[in-house]
Amino acid sequence: MTAATVGSREKQSPESGVDLWLRLVMIWHVILGLGSLGGIAYVWAGADLADWVKILVSVALGLTAVASIVAVNDINGRKHRGRTISLAVNYLGFLVAFFGSLHRIGVFTGIDSLADSFLQGLPFLILVFAGFFIGTLTDRYQKPATQRALKQTSKAMMIVAGIAFLLAVGIHNGILVLLGKLTNPVILLMVVVTAVFGLMLWAMWRQPSAEAMNATNADNEMLSGYLFLSPNLLGFLFFFAGPLLLSLYVSFTNWDAFGTKDWVGLANYGRIVNIDVARLNTITQLASEAIDVTVYDELTRFEIFGKSYIVGAQDKLFWLSLRNTLTFVLLSVPLSVIPALFLSNLLNSKIAGMKFFRAVYFLPSVAAVVGIALVWQWLFNATIGYINYFITVMVDFLNSVGGSFFDPQIRWLSDSNTALLAVVIVAAWQWMGFNTVLFLAGLQNIPRSLYEAATVDGANSWQQFWKVTLPLLAPTTFFVITTTTIQAMQIFEQVFILIPTNPAGPNNSTLTLVLYLYQKGFQRFEQGYASAIAWVLFVIIFGATLFQFQRQRASGSSYDA
Amino acid sequence: MKSYRLTETLKKFLIYAVLIIFAFVMIFPFLYMLTTSFKLPKDTFRYPPRLLPRDALTMEVAGFDDPLPLYYVTVDGREEQFVLIESNIRTGVYADPNNPDVTVELPVSEVEPRGGFTNQEAITVAGEEQKLWDVLVNGEIVPMIQVSQTALGRFADPNDLSREVLQNVRLSQPVEELSAHPQNYNEVVDLQGMDRSLSNTALVTILVVSGQLITSILGGYAFARLRFPGRDKLFVVYLGTIMIPFVVLITPLYQLMVTIGWVDKLAALIVPWIFTAYGTFLMRQFFITIPKEIEEAALIDGASRLEILLRIFIPASTPALATLATFTFLYAWNSFFWPLVVINTGNVENHVLTLSLNVLRGRASDSPNLILAGAAIAILPPMIIFIFGQRFFVESATSSGVKG
Amino acid sequence: MSKRFSLLFVLMLALGLLLVACGGETTETAVEPTTAPAEVAAPTEAPAAEPAMEEVTLRWRTRPDNQAEIDVYQSVSDELSSTLEGVNLEYEAGGSETSSYQDVLKTELGAGTAPDVFWIPGTDIADFATRGLIMNLRDMATATTGYTDADFYPGPMYHLTFNPETGNTGETLWGLPRDVSTFALYINLDLLAESGAPDPRELAANGEWNWDSFIEVATAINNLGDDIYGYGQNAWWGPYGYWINAAGGGFFNEDRTACALDTAESLAGLEFEQRIYQEFNVAVPYGEDSEPPFLAGKVGMFQNGRWATPGTRSSANFNWDVVELPDGPAGPSNWLFWGAYVVNANTQHPEEAWKLVQALTTADVQGKIASLGANVPSRVSQAALDSFLTYTPPANNQAFLNGLANNPATEGPLWAGNWPEFDAVMGPAVAAVLNGEMTIDDYAASICNEANKVFNP
Repeated sequence: MTAATVGSREKQSPESGVDLWLRLVMIWHVILGLGSLGGIAYVWAGADLADWVKILVSVALGLTAVASIVAVNDINGRKHRGRTISLAVNYLGFLVAFFGSLHRIGVFTGIDSLADSFLQGLPFLILVFAGFFIGTLTDRYQKPATQRALKQTSKAMMIVAGIAFLLAVGIHNGILVLLGKLTNPVILLMVVVTAVFGLMLWAMWRQPSAEAMNATNADNEMLSGYLFLSPNLLGFLFFFAGPLLLSLYVSFTNWDAFGTKDWVGLANYGRIVNIDVARLNTITQLASEAIDVTVYDELTRFEIFGKSYIVGAQDKLFWLSLRNTLTFVLLSVPLSVIPALFLSNLLNSKIAGMKFFRAVYFLPSVAAVVGIALVWQWLFNATIGYINYFITVMVDFLNSVGGSFFDPQIRWLSDSNTALLAVVIVAAWQWMGFNTVLFLAGLQNIPRSLYEAATVDGANSWQQFWKVTLPLLAPTTFFVITTTTIQAMQIFEQVFILIPTNPAGPNNSTLTLVLYLYQKGFQRFEQGYASAIAWVLFVIIFGATLFQFQRQRASGSSYDA
Repeated sequence: MKSYRLTETLKKFLIYAVLIIFAFVMIFPFLYMLTTSFKLPKDTFRYPPRLLPRDALTMEVAGFDDPLPLYYVTVDGREEQFVLIESNIRTGVYADPNNPDVTVELPVSEVEPRGGFTNQEAITVAGEEQKLWDVLVNGEIVPMIQVSQTALGRFADPNDLSREVLQNVRLSQPVEELSAHPQNYNEVVDLQGMDRSLSNTALVTILVVSGQLITSILGGYAFARLRFPGRDKLFVVYLGTIMIPFVVLITPLYQLMVTIGWVDKLAALIVPWIFTAYGTFLMRQFFITIPKEIEEAALIDGASRLEILLRIFIPASTPALATLATFTFLYAWNSFFWPLVVINTGNVENHVLTLSLNVLRGRASDSPNLILAGAAIAILPPMIIFIFGQRFFVESATSSGVKG
Repeated sequence: MSKRFSLLFVLMLALGLLLVACGGETTETAVEPTTAPAEVAAPTEAPAAEPAMEEVTLRWRTRPDNQAEIDVYQSVSDELSSTLEGVNLEYEAGGSETSSYQDVLKTELGAGTAPDVFWIPGTDIADFATRGLIMNLRDMATATTGYTDADFYPGPMYHLTFNPETGNTGETLWGLPRDVSTFALYINLDLLAESGAPDPRELAANGEWNWDSFIEVATAINNLGDDIYGYGQNAWWGPYGYWINAAGGGFFNEDRTACALDTAESLAGLEFEQRIYQEFNVAVPYGEDSEPPFLAGKVGMFQNGRWATPGTRSSANFNWDVVELPDGPAGPSNWLFWGAYVVNANTQHPEEAWKLVQALTTADVQGKIASLGANVPSRVSQAALDSFLTYTPPANNQAFLNGLANNPATEGPLWAGNWPEFDAVMGPAVAAVLNGEMTIDDYAASICNEANKVFNP
């Protein structure tokens, strides 16, 4: 019993129209196949295109031609495969023609002008939402009359506000321009082609055709599946998977965004990891006596078992940025997770005003990082900022009651020892509330009975925390730590805004990996090298996540046992 | 029993103390942002800093063209409000050579060289020759040496200008009143076109959120409920890409935008963000928890897949939709890195709020009041939405945690 | 609420928005020309529709620091639009210094969306020129009657006419300088008077304004209180460059092909500056932005360029003036900062762009921009300098002009290497020295090893 058979019962006799439509589709595929072959010939004969574009277009057209031939053959033999292929070809063709038309008409770039008038339309859009909201109120009233009235009001309001909105943002102008554009032969042709693809798609998709082509339930489900997934999948391939592969390719070139793009193999990666460790006679010996300073810059020197070593790196800044990023992660993750765990336990102790505090703690996570960093930049100001002022006040107070403290006058953003810490504070401040809310949700899922049982067993609240709360909160903790770590690894915006004039910070102390990547790719225009750094970052994040996953598994199983 | 109650109260008190301290820490930067955005530039550079915006008061005084600033001055142990009529009066600090601890501060114009300028008397103090000056102390002329020089301001009673006081201007307390300057917001809008940025950001956010909801629902449904070849393998690929940091894509994605002519276009901020693996994953995870029976019954009734999705799945998955909408909203509203790379034209037409802020912080680097007014414009809208939809936001964040 | 209605409604709304977006191109046509040729299969109608006297549209851009500047550039643009024949101008206010104005330009040049004419700082000329992003205007300049390089200060023109292929100057023309600027010390007169220290303006007039008297004044002001500083500067190459140059040193060797930061003179200059921070301890901590405390009335002497004048005018709540930088051991020293209008190498209208560059650097336009207070005209002209003196406050504008006359080192690009990379090596190292985190000896041992890597082999 399926939809297909149910449907067929209602429309009894197989129409002769189906055959006509199918014949039409076959003719279309013949035209399409020949056209594609012609297209290939044209591309190689006269078109002024780059070679890789030619190859790409030829492959696409070639596939279309082959698919069309197979489709014609299968449709003729009423094999369902023919329908699938035909649908796929026409669907893709439709999308290409449709988005091509939109592109040509200028809809995508036209979004800009939409934004121009959008503010005028915004009040009406809010009215639309208000209308919708009125509609949702119907459930609250019992009387059918009230319900109906509400429904009507809601509908009317939405329609009127909707039309007003469209007029306010300039739909009349858009329609006029569109009509004007349609007189352009190229655009008109593209629109017609779109329509033909659409028509053929409809002809093959509709129920009678499906029956004529002997579609099974599984066939229909498969087609629905691909159809439903297609917007997502195609966009994903175009804007994600494609660029991803390209990125990998770029990382093996010396691309500079202005034309140079030579294959350099592993040279970029080689430059990243190229370090040299050498023995020093004394820890203060000159670097130039130990390492080749025309290649390596001194990264660090250290003493171990009474012997001195020096580490030089070809790209010193990469290693510094890696060190800074890891330091940042090691500081910011605990600072935003442990207080969150602590606060969530306080909030979970059934106190009045829990929701208020929860909301307040959550507030920073809805605010734009750029805005927040600007605010903190002034708070951190060493001479007139609030943070140092609070410290001064505190020190004065402690000294007035007999302490003898020294006012540190911390130069938060200009001291290489504190600049990264300042970034950590801002990040932890912003992430802490979000993590608190996550923990709180996890805590509320732990059954009360477990605590009661623990109390009966004589466990105090400290023991309860370690023996009950923490193990049962493990999945949430894992989620929180993993997401915070991934976020922290990619720290960029906070640093970029917070540290004025030079985001790399005093003595490169706030140069993070993503910031370095940005500098290389979009300030020095070594985009090939920047891509290589991005892939190294990916490997690091992947490794860190995998490591946490393993630990989570290990600890999880030990708890179960 | 009593002591138990006492410890309970104490515990409650402690808990609240901690919660309130943290709440203060969370709120304070926003408070600072708001109050500073209503200040005058001069007020923002004051130390010690003060939260509320204040204006220094001035007063029209007969005989002076411009209004004069008012200061607190202590006269005969009483605090009064005097106007500053003259500043930077060169002043000498004079001391009795025999008794150096006794010093007087007087304008240099009021002392006379002892013995006249051409033939000024001198005295040797601690091995150094020092000039002697005639200084009037308590109606009596005393020969003194100048220890150092400084500058003082002349303050006078606005009602009786003959009542004068000399004191250090820098250390004097100006008379001020609370006052707000909302015109800072107008200025920021004019300077940086923040209204246009707001409009752009709102449009981008609405389109990204709705677009992403649509593709994620459709894709999630396909992954959750429809069988087709390659489905599970594809899903694994989707899952695997969630972890890839965005920066890996930035260079080629930028180049793609160049190729299709979307650089500097809002479309570049919208279209690529409509398709995400994360959203699809989230919806799929939620959809598989919906019982199959309802769906099968609907199919038998002849409902199409789309109808089933609209009638059964979407109403049943409000929490997941809220989660996705929330995350997408915050991401789209607050994103900075990608707009920074792809929208970079000098004209502010296509700037989103974060970009405008980035330019503003340079243009108005000497006016924190303007910068923070700009920050407030960017931060407040999501915050207002959050306050009204608090439950919605927090619960959606929660459900993501449980799911993860 | 029926689902069907909602769905239909949302679909209609979306379709409506799509239609609205169709209207976009009408407003965009003016900006389109620069990108259109890049598109494949451009329709043939466009050239046919172009009549003989069609106005060409040129986009130009500067890096304004505030609204007043934007307004002046906009009015200049409007005026030139009507006076220049056959040219229609569109002015764009570029991002500020912190929003990486030059990097954004390069990105846009790569993408083909950059304006036709734009201003860039002097340090960036070499990078733009050697990457082939800006146009050599020499041929057009030669053909232009009345144009001569000598109209502008020779320092900037040396670099603007440098030929990277031959290594000679005077062979090319990468653009024309918009403005020049020098450093001065902005003085808080109230603090100075209160401290009782001698007035640097008088010292300068008597030829006694040197590093010793500088320290004396700075110390006197610094002693006024714990939160008062004698001196302040900002953390970039200009300010510390002065101390290095004034001691007889410099960043590069004579022909700018190698690092000279480790010469005895350069080290002496840096060492003295280190003493200001570490020994005399009279300055705003290095790396902290000195402008907010200066405007708050807590810094006695603030070393900055002419561009700090507008902000000081509007925000300073105290009496202030400027004085030239003190003479160093090697005599007076300063920087000649400058920036130039250059032409996009891919512009469709080079002739018109060259006309625009000339029009933007006339004495009249330069006067308008200089009257804002942010810079000094770049034309060698006594009339321009005379009118510059009237742009007060500060009263002592002569200090900036003295800086111009006092053998300033020209802010310059690095034709033989990569300036941003050089800066990225030098900046952190100098900061470490000034903050006392690195000794002068360690600095001397390593700085040029690292910095020399940025020069072309």
